Amino acid sequence: MGEILENSKISSRQAVFLMVTMIFATVILSVPAITVKHARQDAWISVGLATVAGLLIARLVTTLGLRFPERTLFEYPAEILGRWPGKLVGFFYIIWFLHINAGVIREYGEFLVTAFRPAPPLIVFNLMAVAIAAYTVRNGLEVFTRANEIFFPLTMGLIVITSIFASGETDIQRLLPVADVDAVSIFKGAMVPLAWFGEIVTIALVIPYLNRPRESHRAAVTSVLISGVVFMLVVANAIGIFGPDLIEAMVFPGLNKYRIVNLANFLGRFEALAMTAWVTAGFVKISIFYWATLLGVSQVLELKDYRSLVLPVGGVLMAMSMLDHPSALHLQHFEAQVFPFFALTFEAAIPLLLLITALVRGKGERLG
Amino acid sequence: MRKLIRPVRAKLLAAKKNTGGASEASAEKTKDNTDRDKTSSFLSEDLSSNLARIKEIFQNCSDIIYRQFLFAQREDIRLVLIYADGLADKLQVSEQIMRALSLEVPMAAPEADITKAGAYHLIKERGLCVHQIKETDRLEDVIEAVLSGDTVLLVEGHPFAFINGMRGWEARPVSESENEMVVRGPRESFVETLRTNTALLRRKTRSSDLKLEMMQLGRITKTDVAVVYLKGIANDKLVEEVKSRLQGIELDSVLESGYVEEMIQDNTWSPFPQMNHTEKPDRLAARLLEGRVGIMVDGTPIVLTVPTVFIEFMHSAEDYYERFQIGTVVRIIRFLSMFLSLVMPSFYIAIITFHQEMLPTALLLSLAAQREAVPFPAFVETLLMELTFEILREAGIRLPRQVGQAVSIVGALIVGEAAVRAGLVAPATVIVVAFTGISSFVYFYSASFAIRLLRFPMIVLSATLGLYGLISVLIIIVVHLCALRSFGTPYLSPVAPVSLGDMKDLVVRAPWWAMFTRPRLIGWKNLKRQEPDQKPVPPETRTGEKGGGGDTGKQ
Repeated sequence: MGEILENSKISSRQAVFLMVTMIFATVILSVPAITVKHARQDAWISVGLATVAGLLIARLVTTLGLRFPERTLFEYPAEILGRWPGKLVGFFYIIWFLHINAGVIREYGEFLVTAFRPAPPLIVFNLMAVAIAAYTVRNGLEVFTRANEIFFPLTMGLIVITSIFASGETDIQRLLPVADVDAVSIFKGAMVPLAWFGEIVTIALVIPYLNRPRESHRAAVTSVLISGVVFMLVVANAIGIFGPDLIEAMVFPGLNKYRIVNLANFLGRFEALAMTAWVTAGFVKISIFYWATLLGVSQVLELKDYRSLVLPVGGVLMAMSMLDHPSALHLQHFEAQVFPFFALTFEAAIPLLLLITALVRGKGERLG
Repeated sequence: MRKLIRPVRAKLLAAKKNTGGASEASAEKTKDNTDRDKTSSFLSEDLSSNLARIKEIFQNCSDIIYRQFLFAQREDIRLVLIYADGLADKLQVSEQIMRALSLEVPMAAPEADITKAGAYHLIKERGLCVHQIKETDRLEDVIEAVLSGDTVLLVEGHPFAFINGMRGWEARPVSESENEMVVRGPRESFVETLRTNTALLRRKTRSSDLKLEMMQLGRITKTDVAVVYLKGIANDKLVEEVKSRLQGIELDSVLESGYVEEMIQDNTWSPFPQMNHTEKPDRLAARLLEGRVGIMVDGTPIVLTVPTVFIEFMHSAEDYYERFQIGTVVRIIRFLSMFLSLVMPSFYIAIITFHQEMLPTALLLSLAAQREAVPFPAFVETLLMELTFEILREAGIRLPRQVGQAVSIVGALIVGEAAVRAGLVAPATVIVVAFTGISSFVYFYSASFAIRLLRFPMIVLSATLGLYGLISVLIIIVVHLCALRSFGTPYLSPVAPVSLGDMKDLVVRAPWWAMFTRPRLIGWKNLKRQEPDQKPVPPETRTGEKGGGGDTGKQ
């Protein structure tokens, strides 16, 4: 069935690029502020912990996926649990992908509204994002994977380079004392980034389209590792520049960092550049979840082609991105308090249950 | 649309072939028709009736010449020469056919041999002094031969005709290429005659593997089209695909290779050219050697090559002839100017309108001072200037060469100088627009069309959404390019999908000894171009190498 819907084939490297962009696109925006609120100057330890837990999730998801290397997360629940319960699980995943994508689009819009003076209304940015993503997903997985291959070095390069430029302002003292806060706070701080690293669950949709599905273990682990380490550096860098008190008060610490860059008294205010990097990454992320939703709907409903779904799903995404959260503050609150549990249910709990059931019932092959 | 049409047509063909019953009847009917045509179109033994039929077909064609004369001065064996005036070589026709048959044959052959029955054989074996002859008994062949410039000879009492290949029309001589200039490298360029072009190509690649498959396109123009490739290097499937796409063309005319291009390209709606073209034999040979297929069309010096990847447009023939460092630096400049010619005006507008904070204060103040007197917003100003530039550019191309100078003076003086003085545009805008224009001349012409076209939506979006609008358009362009394919090859390869081995001919032009493989996605059938380890070694290291191992071949 997979062959009919989507006949793309992507390489492991492309998958890694895709997953890293997906995780990194939004984790860099508001997560530092939330983590710092809990773990103060030890936020980077929280990120490290989240990375380790993320690696476990990656392993879990790929182990489950490799039992059914020809099928996606929307299809094999039906095989494990039976037709209708399986379809129900698939349906929940569709809702989940829609919701987190709506959140991403909203954050995308809110970020751009913040970055812009004078700003057009929020709906303009959301509409642009969904429209571009619609055009992209219509072309299929292979195309946006390839496009990401071009964006990835640019976005990651920009993030790293601007961090290096900004690092002139860092003060290592702000990171001290290490492990000052209690362990519970560090764990609390780790929950939010973990929810983002857990988005690696998306690789369960990509495994059937990999050139060599057996490499998906390594691909998933590499993706989480790269995003974890870079994010840890970004957070440590931000704390070094602003100190925990300031970061806590900021909405987008990742952006503020670039405001202070000044190069040779000529190039200053890098936030526009950072914004461009982020816009491309955010667009890739929206496209991935958009594609995931389309794939999910067509696989759960057993449709032959998802192209006809592009516009309706886009409309739903638009509506949800505007209506899910009444304000940016609400979105932030949701991300800090609700999202980790909402996300981890789908990222870890359900896959774990599915894997246990599959093992008990002896479904699937033993590849990984 | 084409994608839709082609399967339908294939299905129809398949239906005709496979099904019995109803459609078979119609198929048989058409067969009958052609058969009747055939019987009626054979030449007869009667010369005057043949001639009458041909004359009827060529009614009112004043350029067709019928020359009747006698074979070996014999009243009973009459001959007729038919050719199109101006297409056949008149001198050769008179010398090698008429003179030979009417005067020289009787001198060489005994009188007894010359009989009406044996005349045909005698003419063929001993009479005609022509390098290439063909025989036919079909009227259509005769007509076609005359129209192609060949000379047809009809013999009294024989239902056959000789087609003598003695074409010789006025043609532009091989001259220097005007569109693809090089400082170092061969100058010659293709001309309008297909045969001359194939000869130019053959001179570059003396290999029996160079195949030239001919076909005719265009219902009325009957244009010769040659599919050229190197057997064993070009992928067979690609060659088949090119041929089948060409055979699917049903146009009434093919006057330029552009007709062919639009009929066989993968995506009609894309502004980006999915087929590269060249007018230089060395470029064509180089591309064939990479595993590409060329499509030569008679009547135009422009030869198409497929598959095409986007980066080809950033390359020039000279990159490969000059020192490789120069080639690399020049390519960087070309990539940069491609990017600048796309985003420069939009970037300017976005910065001026939305992101002034990105500029250093001194520059910002100077810009603000310039723009103080200008009555338009940056968007209108830039758009006006861009439009003016496009008009000037078009005028520069279309006008006769003598007037061209006037246009550039008017353009430079009035638009540049006077508009600034009148306070209509800011000098910075003029600089931006002029620089954009110059940048778009740096890389290959046909790609610059797409970039020119896409500049305008980008300007509009940058004026409304700032840098975000600019980035959005860039994202769409990149996604679009990623989705494009040219005859199965991803348009953005080797950048996306990444092919590390091909990076030595992307921005960097590696020295020739290092480019020992062909581009992977195009030349995979015969990947090895030459032996690796051919880095030249100066004599002193060569002697030391035996003992110490040297560093040859390691890089």
